[in-house]
Amino acid sequence: MNAEINESAPSYATAKAFCYTSAFWMMVATFYGLLGATELVAPDLTGNLGHIVFGRVRPTHINLVLFGFVTPGLLAAAFYYIPRLLGTRLFSEKLGVFTAVAWNLALATAVITLAMGMTQGREYAELIWPIDVTVVAAFLLVFFNFIMTVRQREEKVLYVSVWYVLAGCILTACTYALGNVIWRPNSGALVGIPDAILLWFYGHNVFGLLLTPLSAGVAYYVIPRATRSPLYSHTLSLLGFWSLLVVYTHIGTHHLLQVPVPTWLKVVAIVDSIAMVIPVMAFLINIWYTAKGKLGEIHADIGAKFVFTGTIMYFFVSIQGSFMALPDVQRVTHFNNWVVAHAHIGVLGFAGMIALGGLYYTIPKITGRPLFSRFLADFQYWMILIGMVGFTIVLTIAGLIQGNAWLNGETVYRVLPEIHAYYVTRAGLGLMIFSSAVLGFYNVVRSFQTRSGGRP
Amino acid sequence: MNMKMTPLSVVIGSLLILATIVFVVVLLPYANTNKTQPSEIFRQRTEFESAGRKLYIANGCVYCHSQSIRGFDWDLGAERIAQAGDYVADYPILLGSERTGPDLSQEGGEHPDDWHHAHFANPRYTRPLSIMPEFGFLNVEQLEQLIRYAQSLGLKNADHRMARQTIWKAEAIKAFEAGPDANVQWLNTNIPQGWREVPNPYPTTEAGLARGHKIYQDFCLGCHGPVGDGMGPAQPWIYPPPLNFTILKNREISGGILYYQIMNGITGTAMPYFKRDLESEKIWDVGDYVAVYFINHSDANTEPRGIDAAYEP
Repeated sequence: MNAEINESAPSYATAKAFCYTSAFWMMVATFYGLLGATELVAPDLTGNLGHIVFGRVRPTHINLVLFGFVTPGLLAAAFYYIPRLLGTRLFSEKLGVFTAVAWNLALATAVITLAMGMTQGREYAELIWPIDVTVVAAFLLVFFNFIMTVRQREEKVLYVSVWYVLAGCILTACTYALGNVIWRPNSGALVGIPDAILLWFYGHNVFGLLLTPLSAGVAYYVIPRATRSPLYSHTLSLLGFWSLLVVYTHIGTHHLLQVPVPTWLKVVAIVDSIAMVIPVMAFLINIWYTAKGKLGEIHADIGAKFVFTGTIMYFFVSIQGSFMALPDVQRVTHFNNWVVAHAHIGVLGFAGMIALGGLYYTIPKITGRPLFSRFLADFQYWMILIGMVGFTIVLTIAGLIQGNAWLNGETVYRVLPEIHAYYVTRAGLGLMIFSSAVLGFYNVVRSFQTRSGGRP
Repeated sequence: MNMKMTPLSVVIGSLLILATIVFVVVLLPYANTNKTQPSEIFRQRTEFESAGRKLYIANGCVYCHSQSIRGFDWDLGAERIAQAGDYVADYPILLGSERTGPDLSQEGGEHPDDWHHAHFANPRYTRPLSIMPEFGFLNVEQLEQLIRYAQSLGLKNADHRMARQTIWKAEAIKAFEAGPDANVQWLNTNIPQGWREVPNPYPTTEAGLARGHKIYQDFCLGCHGPVGDGMGPAQPWIYPPPLNFTILKNREISGGILYYQIMNGITGTAMPYFKRDLESEKIWDVGDYVAVYFINHSDANTEPRGIDAAYEP
């Protein structure tokens, strides 16, 4: 490419790199999910293969979904829309691609180290210190790239998507370092109850300060663009943004309501969990009123379709989450598959759907061609929607069986056969999601690689 | 509302909010909980137990086993509701977020070591319905470390239970090595007199035997074997070995004895108590199943039988 072409058409190399990253790791992440689900059905199938024992597979699945599939997918879209919204180019595509490469190295190292049993043993904070440092550095580099892009902007007004991305990256760099106790490289932990409080402060902020802001950023960009409508309300944008930062960060201790932590902290967590209705509805009303009467346009654009579905899942997962913070509800739902269902609505149904929507919305804009296959993307949409809703149904049922049986005095062991059928169904649904991830990866690669067709 | 959102207001504003909230929900509770005093069951772990805890972390045991007993729990460990002072050396704390297997807060001393060896070789050897993975990929030393950690869970309470296991294990081995007559006699004499004299109060029925058969398969078969001869898959690891029911005929076994041993277990041997897993009817049914099929002698519904229950045929 010569300089002239470069000037007329930005390369979006960073966005492209993160598209590949997300689509590739979605395959690996969902494979690990499927593997874990299969082991719960047939525990002797992978007998004595220590590297893929369930307790190592589960954290691999979760870390890859969070940091391999969803976050890079949401960042891919951001690396496209941030420069667009600011009327400029990305500060440095070189730095962006370098970040993506470092990110992938961190993920590959995460898979290997977890398989070897090198873990710090704290949920969402398993990765060992060198990977922690890389992740924090990557978030800081992404933030640096974006803030420098903001500084060289032509468009003076900062659109709401930009707020979310800036805040999401810098705050996650902080909470990730804090939550992983990065100043203690060997253990990555505090001692006793304070460790639990810090862990869940961080753990919940993976959703509150990373996935949710980045997903909101994509939705705020894609929905108005796809429907060719102005955003419904600037005031709601402000309310949603600031209230999210204030409220979401308070609620981590709702994971510890049945643990001896200070009661006032539980009260704060419960009250703010209910107050989550404010940022959630401010965002959703804003998006949904923007799309009002324009569902045809959304249906016509596969990217927007994924994103809009994600916002609906956000409604369900958030309202459910608020209720799950009530102590009486938690007596039934805590410690069982109800929570696993909740996590899948949130991370796959909401953030994952929006990440895929971001990919499928931006890829045609980057390449200047339609997607390689709209059919495959649509097929993936339905596979994931059915798989995710199916997960929710079977795991919620399993969770209710477990929770009520335990309350009724039945032992954990005795309840296992009662949930077996649901575990089998869950593994089947997992196979659907994994196969759709493989098709999705193929679609993404072909969309970038196919030379024929040219610009429409 | 017409608030102007500049890069500075977004970034500095967000960071200030985060700093404030970290102060409220992390630093204040830290100041509060950091001074937690050790509870009355607390003791430091030995080096070996700490090594086992590292293996527990490395293999992700925490994803299926909580260490967090609540006031309304019934299962393993429910006698002790967790206190903040139980965790003062836990680094990291391993509360867990899911219970696919039982809570292990008080696992120490629930079983003797030989049960753990069989269970880690394949959990279905001792617990046929278990979905836990097998841990044969650990070497002998690692396995020993992991078992030492499991046996330390509950700290001083675990030590107390382990001491009891050790005392009774010596007795049980002595009795077993003295031959079947002495062994059965030893087993019987350790059952309160009243229980020994009670026959199974419910009549043998086809339905009852079918229920007993299912309970036997789900709970007993791993050690006592499909034909009740004590040659289940767990047998090679367990000493004294699982009881061979087929030698019990004419050795004064009553329905009450079977019931009591299933309910209470035989501490010191790999025979666990089943009173948490099984309600009364299930214990009577599986006891009668063993009596009818393996001992070939059942005292079901013989005198003294009291007033027949309303459902009896």
